[in-house]
Order: sequence, then structure tokens, then C-alpha cells
Amino acid sequence: MNLALKVSGLVAGIPSKQILNGLDIEVPFGEVHAIMGPNGSGKSTLCHVLTGNPAYEVTAGSVLLDGTELIGRPVDERARLGLLQSFQYPTEVPGVRLREFVFEVAVAHGLSPEEAEERIEREAARFGMDRFLDRSVNEDLSGGEKKRSEIFQMAVLRPKVALLDEIDSGLDIDAVRQVAEAVEEMRSPEMGTLMITHYSRILRYMTPDRIHVMIDGRIVDSGSRELADELEAGGYEAVRQRLGLVKQTTAEKRPSDFFTETPFDV
Amino acid sequence: MESAFEVFASLSEPTGAEEDWRYVTYDMPFSSLAPVGVPGAAIAPGPFVGAITDRSGSALIVDGTVVEASSNALQLRRLAEIDADRMTSRVPADHNKLAAAHAAFAHDGLFIDVPAGAAVDQPFLIDLQAVTPGVASFPHISVRVGENAEASVIVVYRSAEGASLLMVPEIDLDLAQGANLRFLSLQNLDHAAHSVTHLRVTAGRDSTIRIGEVGLGGHFARLDVGLDLEGDGSSAETVGLYFGEGNQTLDYRLLVRHAGKHTSSDVFLKGAVEDESVSVFTGLLRIEPGAVGTATYETNRNLVLSEGAKANSVPNLEILCDDVACGHGSSVGPPDEESLYYLMSRGLPRPAAMRLLIKGFFQEVIDRLPIGGMEEPIAAEVFRRFVTAQGEGRVA
Repeated sequence: MNLALKVSGLVAGIPSKQILNGLDIEVPFGEVHAIMGPNGSGKSTLCHVLTGNPAYEVTAGSVLLDGTELIGRPVDERARLGLLQSFQYPTEVPGVRLREFVFEVAVAHGLSPEEAEERIEREAARFGMDRFLDRSVNEDLSGGEKKRSEIFQMAVLRPKVALLDEIDSGLDIDAVRQVAEAVEEMRSPEMGTLMITHYSRILRYMTPDRIHVMIDGRIVDSGSRELADELEAGGYEAVRQRLGLVKQTTAEKRPSDFFTETPFDV
Repeated sequence: MESAFEVFASLSEPTGAEEDWRYVTYDMPFSSLAPVGVPGAAIAPGPFVGAITDRSGSALIVDGTVVEASSNALQLRRLAEIDADRMTSRVPADHNKLAAAHAAFAHDGLFIDVPAGAAVDQPFLIDLQAVTPGVASFPHISVRVGENAEASVIVVYRSAEGASLLMVPEIDLDLAQGANLRFLSLQNLDHAAHSVTHLRVTAGRDSTIRIGEVGLGGHFARLDVGLDLEGDGSSAETVGLYFGEGNQTLDYRLLVRHAGKHTSSDVFLKGAVEDESVSVFTGLLRIEPGAVGTATYETNRNLVLSEGAKANSVPNLEILCDDVACGHGSSVGPPDEESLYYLMSRGLPRPAAMRLLIKGFFQEVIDRLPIGGMEEPIAAEVFRRFVTAQGEGRVA
């Protein structure tokens, strides 16, 4: 059986800078994986590259979605093949109603109109999105509501791979728990989930099958729950030291890095 | 004092050098036009007139002549049948040559009186047509809303297919104390028509005027709005959309004058241009000395859908009083790439994402139009225009 997602030797970046330096990761169907990494490690770039953002260039490597190569395909085709990203900052689209948007998309994914309507109603009820269906996409929604809307859309469209970019950022503790529960709720044998997170806070409320640590554009370590515990205790520095990785020089660091070395907020 | 005709005779045709005409090309000289004789045959109901079935009355005006008018709730009088001094134009004749022409040549029109205290829910429909090629017509409409009365009026502008002609309507709306008027203008002239419409509003104390505008037709179509918030506590909302194609020019000039105390106004206009069409929004919010507590805002958003199209947006504020809250927002540009990317990231091909975006762009206006019940035909006309252009490869 194919993996939901198999990324091999991925080298990519923006035209002026290579950011991903030979990244490998495998996500089987039915599993939830988390990638953790400090600021500047390339997590957001990985999302953009997997989704097919044309601002990023891929110079080597392969991205297989259920055995199908995604590199070179436009963003909308990747989505229809079954890779959906939930955005860190979902875009507000005034005037476009959520119901109409998801309906059009569902039909583009090959659902019949009846099936699309039925799924929209059912999943909206399940994820508490009923009252947002006839409002503009993401407009005037709180951070938590926007993230819930992203998960609702995925639940309707049932991708093979759900890519969750910083699904927990900007949320208060209750919203983080709700989003974590929604991600677990969405778990299915037909889908692999890759969540990218800055803090391991959300992992307290869910049980990822595997945790990957990303530093300098590569996955440097993978493991189970204990890896998250190590990060909680010693930060990314502990992982670097254990693996003998040379840290970035201070001159290259941005001020924000000093505040994010410890992945846990307390 | 000079007669309106003398003013008309003394003024030159707009050349484009004047500040009022600098963004547009007006090319309908009076030398190419004839005065109206007998009005031509009315044209069949189009997508808008046909949809307004639930109404408090209607009038048909063809080539500047009132052909029929009746209402069960409003008092109607034909301008041609009442004394001449009631025909006085609210627009100064020297405003420009078109305004002077209206003052000099308007021979018929309609006075609509809403009696004090009356509340008329259903809209009164005015089917304003120009059908005879080569003529200039000057329909005059005056609506007076009595104290604490409520009414709504829809004007649909139409013209015969392919008929090159000029229509210069003047519409005056007067709101007495506590009056409430909803006014919807659906400009769906044929692409060969020229029109210059003057809309003048006077809002009395604590009155509320809501204006909706849909601009789709005309080779050259100007709407010149003068909104006077004279009464203390009066408020106005102007919401509109326009969509130019081919070589159309859609030209909006607004002057909102806050004179009373604690008045408020909101202008919200969105437009799109494709092919070689041109749009203009010139909006001036003027706050007179003594107009304390004024709250006013204007927004004008424009989508440029083809390389050859052009949208001009010129919002302005003139504040002669302290203690006011006002502002403006304006944008001109192609559809937002970030929004498109978001829609596409769910699996919509670019053309489908673009259609959804355009629909949403105008839906925001359609949802806010002052008179309900017309949302579907309006959305359908606007959407059809974009889909046709997309199908023919005229837009992305």
C-alpha cells in the first residue's frame, strides 16, 4: 500500500535562498504526524512547497501523494488529487459565502450536488460551523473560528493528506483544546495528517503517532511522544547537542529566535 | 436674470479640459441631436422591470414624456400639467451645458408626493426609457416625502437597442422631518446611449435616505449626485455597483454636504472594468462650518479586469468644522492574488476561483441595496457579464 505522503530529498526555497536542504518524511494513511521546529527552520516553506505555492522553487526531490508525484502540478490540481492545507492565517474573502465556496469546491472534487450539500450540512453541525455557512469566508471570525472553519472544509472534502500549518497559533488555551479535538475527530484510515507546530502545547490534547524535529531545512530526528518530552525539558538545543548539530551563529539569528528556543509556553 | 436657454446657449460643450470632465471623453454634441417630438413606442420589460411585480404603482416615461402613471398610495402629478414655477430645476443651469439643457428643455416629468405620516412598503416603479435614435430627452422627476412618511422608489433606465441618443434626467428627492426614503436606481441603458443624470437630495431633520445604484449600461453614463444633509440628525447611505465593458464610460460624481448637526453618511461603491471601459468615482465629503457631530465615510473599490481598462478613484474630504469623524478608503487594482490563491488551494481552477471572487465582490454591495427583492436579477446580470467576457477570453 502507498504512503499517504512520501517526501524524499526535497530541496527548495525562494529564488534568492535555499531553505529546504534535502528533506525526507513519510506519513502513512490513518496516522497523525507532527513536525516541530524553531523559527526559521523551514516549516512554513515546507507547507508552501507541498501545497504548490508558485513563489517557491523546487530544485530537487520528490513529493508523492498516494504514489502520485505532485512536483510540477499547480496548487488547485494538488488539492483535487487530495492534498489540502489548512492555513496559519486563513484569508478573508468578503462577499463569498462559506456554503457556496465549499459547495463549488466539493463539486470540483467530483461530488454530486446532493452529496456536497448533505456533507456540508453534516460536517458543519459536527464542527459547530452552522451559523457561519451563510457568512463571508473567514470574515469577522475569531482565530479559533477560522481554524475550525479550515478543519470543517477538510472534513467535507476528505483529502488523502491534511497539512495543518500552525493550527494552534494565536489561539487561547480553550481554543487549542477544541482544535486538537477536531483534528483527532477528523482522523480516518483514508487520510494521513501532517501538522506543523511551533509549540508542543497542542500535543498535550492529542496523540500524534510520530513526532519529527526539523532544523535548518531537514528532519533531524523522529520519534514517539518521548521526543516531545525531551523538547519540553531541554528545548531544541538539547536535540541539537544530542545529535551533534552545529548551532547557527548568533549573527545569523533573528531576535525572535531567542524567545522561541523553548517550545513550551508556560 | 439669464434664462436657462440663454445659459445653455452661452456654455460650451464639455471638452475634457474642465476639472469636471477631465477623466472622461464626452462625445455627444447637441449639433448631432434633435429635440423630442412624439415619444416613440415603449420597449418590452427587461430583466429588472419584469422582476418588480409587487409595487405601489408605476410610471412609464418615454423620450422625456410621461406616457402613463398610476399609484394606489402616492399622489402623482404630471409636470406638464402644473404651473411652470414648479418646474424649477434644483441644479443651477450654469453647473454645465447638460444641466442647462435640462433646465431649458425639460417639458414633462412626474411629481410624486408621499403624504405626511404615510408608510408605503411596496416600491413605486419608474420605467425611464429613451427609444428614438438621435434625440435628446430631459425627464424630470421630483419625489417629496412628507413628515414621518416612508416610501421607496425604483428607477430603471433603459433605451432601445442600438439607438444613439442622449438622456438628461434630473431627479430631486426631498425628505421632510422624520421622513424615510429608499431609492434604487438600475441603469441598464443600451450601450449606444449617452446619459447624464443629476440626482439631488435634500434631507430634513432626522430624515433617512438610502440610495442604491446599479450601473451597467450606456456608452457614456454619468450620475451626478448632490446630497444635502441639511436637517439636524439626518442620515444618508449610498451603496452601489458598476461594471463597465467594451468601450463604456461609467462616471460617478458625488458631493455629500453635511450642513446640519449630528448628521451621518456612508458611501460604499464598488466597480469593475473590463475590455477598454473606463470608470470614474469622484466623491467629495464636505462638512460645513457648524456641522458638529458629523460622522461620514466613503469607500470606493475597483477591480481592473483587462489591461486596456481604466478605473479612476478620487475620494476627497473638505472639513470646515471640528468635532467630526470622517474618512475614506479607495482602491484600484486587479483581483487580490492572495484571495485567489486561497480559493484555488481548495481545488478550484483559476477561472472558477475568479468567478467566485467577482461574484463575492459584488455580492457585498447587492446585500446592502436599500430595496430587497431584486438581488437575484441584479446578481445574474452582473455575473453574466463577467462569465461572457471570461468565455470569450477578454478577461483572465
